[in-house]
Amino acid sequence: MTIEDITGRYVNVEIEGQTQRVYFEEAGTGRPVLCLHTAGADTRQWRHLLNDTEVTSEHRLIAFDMPWHGKSLPPAGFEREEYLLTTDTYIATVLAVCEALALDRPILAGCSMGGRIALQLAARHADRFSGFIAIEASDFQAAWYDIDWFDRPDAHGGEMGAALVSANISPYAPDVERWNTLWMFMSSGPGVFRGDLSFYTKDESLVERLSSITTKQTPVHILVGAYDLTCTPEDAKRTADAIPGASLTVMDQLGHFPMSEHPEGFRPFFIDALGRMAAAA
Amino acid sequence: MLEKIETMQSALGKSPQLTRLGRLFSETVLLQVDAKEFYLHFEKGELANIEPGPSRKTPWRFAIRTDAEALEAFWAPRPAPGFHDIFGLVKIGRANIDGDILSLVKNLRFFKEFLALGLEGGTA
Repeated sequence: MTIEDITGRYVNVEIEGQTQRVYFEEAGTGRPVLCLHTAGADTRQWRHLLNDTEVTSEHRLIAFDMPWHGKSLPPAGFEREEYLLTTDTYIATVLAVCEALALDRPILAGCSMGGRIALQLAARHADRFSGFIAIEASDFQAAWYDIDWFDRPDAHGGEMGAALVSANISPYAPDVERWNTLWMFMSSGPGVFRGDLSFYTKDESLVERLSSITTKQTPVHILVGAYDLTCTPEDAKRTADAIPGASLTVMDQLGHFPMSEHPEGFRPFFIDALGRMAAAA
Repeated sequence: MLEKIETMQSALGKSPQLTRLGRLFSETVLLQVDAKEFYLHFEKGELANIEPGPSRKTPWRFAIRTDAEALEAFWAPRPAPGFHDIFGLVKIGRANIDGDILSLVKNLRFFKEFLALGLEGGTA
């Protein structure tokens, strides 16, 4: 029998005028690291790093479920709303959680759409953070799928989403973690993955902001898996090249959900990335 | 290739979990490998019949067109990036998927796991 060190709580925050009940988990002590999950998933993607004592001995890792995801309920009136995440709402959510939890210039680590918003925050609110680890993150790339596939009354969007995103998981990923990763997509709320992808596949506003990111005080490190079909190493390299001073590591045996699909393979890259944030400590 | 597909057909027949996933899938899929065509007639998750082509009279729901070398790489235990998924093959220009793609997507887990039956030593 083991009881993990992760603790989960709820914080009620106001986001764009609406009170939202946001679930968050944390573990460790030290420099805060706020972790953002991908589209269509939740905090559980970070379960291994939150249990990694080499990481948590010097860092306080905090991960939260975006509203509509995981244990965070959608806002009141959701039943009359089409969920479509926007850059502004996403930024407001991350900043509101930071403020509510009194996080003092945390490192921001985000994956996929979380990596995208991390770079948006690097461009627009760098003063609120001390560094950015942008995982499977890029400026923009067009969808290679139809996001409407994932929200239909005649089929299970979660099952279809999971089957599709399995294309982004490395064949090196252990089967158990591959399926744990897919389970989150299978069990996401109706229309949520589609609403996240609306942000991810339609908002190009980051492209023109990349050159304005300054990395001297707030380092930017981009990590990308070679097996990622959605944010390819080419997409990540193009993005890193456009940010003065940003660094990039390609992870040969990993895919789009590295912290979840292959935790042992990912942890050295994440620990290395944390080390690169030291300049701003 | 026909022998390979027959092996996959047999493995599918021995996998009740997989045929259950495909229980609503009764469609014909065209698999084209180089110039060779194979019409795969699925019936409630079973591969009821493999009909070698070419045929201009056999209707199909969706088609996957690729080449033997790409499929061999796809069926390796640890495929190289791009060769690790059918949509990867499409992305790297080694396969095309056309027809009713939504039919494929609605049954994507079943169809991917059927294709995985061709993996070296695969048992999915």
